[in-house]
Amino acid sequence: MENYKKSVQTAPKSHSDCSGCGLCMLVCPMWRRNRDLQHSPHGCAKALQHGAAPDDLAEALWNCTLCRACDPVCPEQLDISGMILKLRGQLAHPQTTVLQGRMVAQTKRPASACQEKTALLAGEALRAHPALLKRITALLGESGVLAVAHDDGADISLALEAGLAIPPARLAAMIEPLRRADKVIVADGLLLPYLAQWLPAAQIFSLGETLSSLESIRRNLRSTDLYVIEPRAYHADYVRLVKHYDRLRKECGCDFNLDLQRIAIPATVRSLPQRLGLVASNDEDQTRWVLHGRRITRIVVESLEDRAAFEKVCAISVVHLAELADDL
Amino acid sequence: MPTNTSELALTEPGTVGPCHVGSDALQGIKRQQTNPTRWNGQGWTEFAAALRDNGIELRVAKAARGIFATDAGGTAYGLPHGVVIARSAAQVAGLLKAAQQFRVPVTVRGGGLTTEGESVAFGGVLLDMTGMSRVLQVDSDALTVRTEGGIFWHSLAEELRRCGMDYLSAPLNMTASVGGTLGVGGIDVNSPRLGCSADQAISLQVVTPTGDIVECSDTQHAELFQRVILGYGQFGVITEATLKIRRYTPLRMHYFYYDSLRTAVEDMQLLNRNDASDYSGILTIMDCAVNLLVAFDSDEREAAFRANWQRHLRGYGESGFALCMLRRYALRPWKLPEAWFLLQRKRELFPEFRRPEYMRDGLMHDRAVVFSRAVWKFWGSKQMVIPDLATSAEKFVEAVERGNAVCRKYFQHYTLYCVGIKLRPEHRPHYEMSCIPPDAEGWAYGCEFEPMMDERVYSRDYLQSFKNAIYDIGVDLGGSYYRFGGMMKGYIRRVFGDEVVDRHLAMKRATDPAMILNRDVIF
Ligand SMILES: Cc1cc2nc3c(=O)[nH]c(=O)nc-3n(C[C@H](O)[C@H](O)[C@H](O)COP(=O)(O)OP(=O)(O)OC[C@H]3O[C@@H](n4cnc5c(N)ncnc54)[C@H](O)[C@@H]3O)c2cc1C
Repeated sequence: MENYKKSVQTAPKSHSDCSGCGLCMLVCPMWRRNRDLQHSPHGCAKALQHGAAPDDLAEALWNCTLCRACDPVCPEQLDISGMILKLRGQLAHPQTTVLQGRMVAQTKRPASACQEKTALLAGEALRAHPALLKRITALLGESGVLAVAHDDGADISLALEAGLAIPPARLAAMIEPLRRADKVIVADGLLLPYLAQWLPAAQIFSLGETLSSLESIRRNLRSTDLYVIEPRAYHADYVRLVKHYDRLRKECGCDFNLDLQRIAIPATVRSLPQRLGLVASNDEDQTRWVLHGRRITRIVVESLEDRAAFEKVCAISVVHLAELADDL
Repeated sequence: MPTNTSELALTEPGTVGPCHVGSDALQGIKRQQTNPTRWNGQGWTEFAAALRDNGIELRVAKAARGIFATDAGGTAYGLPHGVVIARSAAQVAGLLKAAQQFRVPVTVRGGGLTTEGESVAFGGVLLDMTGMSRVLQVDSDALTVRTEGGIFWHSLAEELRRCGMDYLSAPLNMTASVGGTLGVGGIDVNSPRLGCSADQAISLQVVTPTGDIVECSDTQHAELFQRVILGYGQFGVITEATLKIRRYTPLRMHYFYYDSLRTAVEDMQLLNRNDASDYSGILTIMDCAVNLLVAFDSDEREAAFRANWQRHLRGYGESGFALCMLRRYALRPWKLPEAWFLLQRKRELFPEFRRPEYMRDGLMHDRAVVFSRAVWKFWGSKQMVIPDLATSAEKFVEAVERGNAVCRKYFQHYTLYCVGIKLRPEHRPHYEMSCIPPDAEGWAYGCEFEPMMDERVYSRDYLQSFKNAIYDIGVDLGGSYYRFGGMMKGYIRRVFGDEVVDRHLAMKRATDPAMILNRDVIF
């Protein structure tokens, strides 16, 4: 299995290179919700090209869910989500102090070095489900020794999302303990491309890809399942993962949350304030859109956030990918 | 020649002034004004207040207006005074009533994929139809869909596919909207069999320029229907449409390669005349590598083609064509850079049309996605001109060959895209003053001439001269064009004749007394 490689290696391009095709809009969940060009990468780029300042676009920039669906569809190969984060960096987020405070606190609690060759960054959501985390570590442990990293960078992920710079000391505190690992598995899709930069010698995989590569899980996928790919990791490593999931489809015959452009339709649409719990989330329309018209008997999710969203809107059984494996 | 704008003669809406920018046609035809004068803003404050009183949101912030400063062509620039996002027919009706009262121009925009500035507002209101982009009802038994007019064809396809359905034909461009397309045509590679997108409309909900909401079809308010279909947005805003749909099928693709435009066009016409394929079209790399694409919806149709028609085609397979090219360039070593370009292009393009995630068991899925992505990846740029010629079947080879010679003269690299459009005799009234040439019988044929910008920036005058040279051929041949509005409207009288144009102008004045709707696009 080849690991994450950034497919866009060309000179950095910016919003001024946007030719205005609008393909990004078609996959943007915020555009879908608002039906308003201003809430789309296309609209932001065009507005910036014609004299708008980041402040004028603040609402749209903060509402972006960073699902990264726009990145792989851009024919100009613009790093659109990267551009959005850069623009966010020019705005003042009301939670900046809180987020910076979290990073300072975490720096003061250095994690012990990871002793194994494979490390799992489980993320907050999985940590809140110890039984599932235990199952995942056991499953992954079967194919080699695995350590669950004590510091999985949840604070860093939120800070990145807010467009904040990560203090070098905080970054070092997270990365140094991982230096011995030659394989890192990460549940938080947002971190995936960053880890590839920070740990160039290691192979970085998403948790979804890793689990869905296990034979004990694949054989239990059914043709009447809807398999829900976690969008952030998928789109960050699209060129490679589109093939991975296509193989899975051929083998298992299940349906995926993919649109006609083979982009993962997010089941949730959470802006940063919603992730921080400052504003109530409101995913139902989007979750229903993923289900719309599909004849399925079970939903298989890679992310726990998605499980909760589906359970809220339908009576179809929802399972986490790890729960598919034969009993350990 | 006037030196500043204050010296320019003010023109009444509906008349077109002399052009002080664009060069004359090669034939010596005097150019008419290409870019309209910006609307002077008279009455704007009162108009804005009337909208506010009516609860219609008008956005005037720079960020909101800047989004719409240009269209896909990127050569016409204009800022509206304000933007309204369409949300309902009633809201659009309120907007148009106020616009009539205060004589404020309203420019309607769907996907904004025009290239001649037709969807650019030179002042006034920009009405963004993409705010009305919901599918209202899919009837899988009657094979129809009712949808809002601002929906992108791609979004429509996304919804239809969830119930195993597909639209009939649409531009190979995912961000074209239904309303914008029904007004101009909509050509697909199945148009030789199914006609253009505009032919698929069964009925429309239209908001007239005076703000009436009218349901129209061939049997209900037929005259309005006839004018709105292929009417370039002159006679009303399409807010809803009922369209024919069909069951979704993947495609069985075949590619034939030619080194002669003429032979490829003749073969394509042979297929169309004999209903030998479900899809056909020509896509070229200059005039060196000419690809005739032929595709089928079913094994039966493909088998019939193999049995009866394939042997009549004079194109090569991939390896045969490679040998043919080898011979050609071995004898012409001074043309090696061209050979190198072809090779490079082939290496980039071919994999895009064979991406494994779109190919299953040898069938191509979601053709519009495959083609549209390729179009933007390999031909898209911030500046695009796509002049075209539409003619009868008989005149088409000449149109293509003459247009090709113009491309050779102006650009190093370019692409031609040729396709047939099956005509529906009962739709003749729709076709008047449209992209369908008046003398076409059975099929009309269209060729787009798309220069590749190769990272260069061309002056507007250079591009205008190129377009003029192509459009002059249309005047000569008595054809028509897909894009005759906006910057190319100087050709309208030449090509359609005064009688037809004056009749349409009179109808326009009658339905739009203040001439506010899509002003300067055609009239
Ligand atoms: C790269 C590229 C590829 C293309 N490929 C194709 C192709 O394969 N086949 C093809 O047929 N065309 C093609 N086109 C042309 C383009 O797709 C058509 O012009 C398109 O269908 C227009 O749709 P739109 O929604 O973008 O309309 P717009 O550009 O927004 O508008 C077109 C005209 O209609 C008016 N209008 C828009 N919406 C409405 C409405 N709801 N009611 C009334 N009037 C309205 C506008 O004022 C304007 O005058 C291509 C264009 C580009 C740039």
